[in-house]
Amino acid sequence: MTNYWIQLFINRNSPTSVGAEENLNAILKKYFPGDYQLEIIDIQENPEKTEEAGILAIPTLIRKWPKPEVRLIGALTLQTRVLTGLGIVVQEDK
Amino acid sequence: MNIQKLKTGIPAFDLISDGGLPAGRTTLLAGSSGSAKTLFGAQFLAMGILLYDQPGVFVTFEEQVDDIRKDLQSFGWEIEKWEAEGKWKFIDASAKEEDIITIGEFDLSAFRIRLELAINKINAQRVVIDSIGSIFTHFPEHNIIRREMSKVSMTLRRLKVTAIITTERSEEYGPISRYGVEEFLTDNVIILRNVLANERRRRTLEILKFRGSSHVKGENPFTIIPMKAIMIVPISAMTLNQKASSERLYSGLPKLDDMCGGGFFKNSIVLVSGATGTGKTLLVANFLNGVKQKQERALLLAFEESKEQLFRNAKTWGMDLAQLEAEGYLKVVCLYPEVSSLEDHLINIQELVVAFKPDRVAIDSISALTRNPSERGFQEFVVALSNFLKHEQVTSMFTATTHMLTGDASVPEGNIASITDAIILLRYVEMMGEMQRSIMVLKMRGSNHESSIRRLTINQTGMQIGEPFTGISGILSNNPKVTK
Repeated sequence: MTNYWIQLFINRNSPTSVGAEENLNAILKKYFPGDYQLEIIDIQENPEKTEEAGILAIPTLIRKWPKPEVRLIGALTLQTRVLTGLGIVVQEDK
Repeated sequence: MNIQKLKTGIPAFDLISDGGLPAGRTTLLAGSSGSAKTLFGAQFLAMGILLYDQPGVFVTFEEQVDDIRKDLQSFGWEIEKWEAEGKWKFIDASAKEEDIITIGEFDLSAFRIRLELAINKINAQRVVIDSIGSIFTHFPEHNIIRREMSKVSMTLRRLKVTAIITTERSEEYGPISRYGVEEFLTDNVIILRNVLANERRRRTLEILKFRGSSHVKGENPFTIIPMKAIMIVPISAMTLNQKASSERLYSGLPKLDDMCGGGFFKNSIVLVSGATGTGKTLLVANFLNGVKQKQERALLLAFEESKEQLFRNAKTWGMDLAQLEAEGYLKVVCLYPEVSSLEDHLINIQELVVAFKPDRVAIDSISALTRNPSERGFQEFVVALSNFLKHEQVTSMFTATTHMLTGDASVPEGNIASITDAIILLRYVEMMGEMQRSIMVLKMRGSNHESSIRRLTINQTGMQIGEPFTGISGILSNNPKVTK
């Protein structure tokens, strides 16, 4: 049973998407080890899912769980902002 | 180079655009809020489905899909049915409740993929993106959005769809668009305006440019009608094909025919100008009654009197208009000038004329339609109406009320005088302690006409045109003098 369910919509042809995937993996491994489920969705392979989720921009991160749903757009380059966006308060020096 | 056009099916737009929107291209539709951008876009798609069997994709960045479906019902468009039949597809890109946070670089490739998927799925030939300004409010990174939207327009170009992208303007007569999108959507630009002038809303459509292709320049008024949506009133486009007739038509009074050199010309516009009580409506009644001779059909648009009132008065002058109506030679439509806008009146009149196919049309009075004759919209209205009536080969009589009781050489609504082919003046003459009436033909395009001012009497037998006021001058300058 994991506490976080996260979807990341990417486009493998785009360098910003690759960067986002790496950045997100690093954050999740560091702050939520074993406590998350990550689904990477390539829009080229899954246009229907992209349509269903109403994605416009790439990369888009959706925190499906816990509710409410949160969406982050962009390469996720700023760790602290990603964590705030996901609703995590991080203590410094940890 | 002349670019192929795609017929939109929007009434009169195809006329002023010389065939429709540039086919396979994207047109920028710019307008202030409330200028009917969304409706124009939706109508473009609806007409494609209804008239040309061309499916369309509607991308909404602004309004919710459900609201659009509901709003468009009032025009008789069954969006849901078309969606089920694969003729209409929405891409819902409207703002949702959850917050969007942007962190770092992004692109809109997902949107482009969804757009391409939707277009291919229903084989769409028409696309509307409403509106580009809302994308800019979704995402604060305007440079990225500008770059990405230019990629979107390239995608549309590659897929060879004819597209409309709407954009907001903050001023009616300012820069084309608030976000500078015209930098990359520059070839074809249409502007919709909704201007408040003389306490009246005036909607216009202007084709600012169609690169490599012809169109009518300037603003064209339009109106929005239930079940029909946007109706454009083409002003300049209709002036091209009118025929000047040399055939004559009975004016309704033999004496007046003589004064005009043998009757009115067919397809001409006759303006009757006079103060209240000078006999304008009586002249109209004679004009209508004139259909009896050759069994023509006449249509009267009465803005000042009820039908009952008119018929009763005509009876006292010895004309049975009720009988003419019963026999189908006459149709009388009484309208309240204040109820609708001039554009609505025009479309209403056009429909009546097309349905009844009259030989004669009388409008009593044209001046009831305006409180301010210098109003630009009124002049345009009269031009468009005259063009339409001539185009339909109708002979028309407009009445106009002057304010001064006596004298007054000028013709009221000076703007319309130049449009009309003939002008008849009805004037009071104050002479020797008595008010008398007079009639004269001031202008008769393409014909000789009498230049004298004749005495006019009105009694139980109607209108009697008498002898000229000989030996008297200064009637029109309100200073009659016996010069004998």
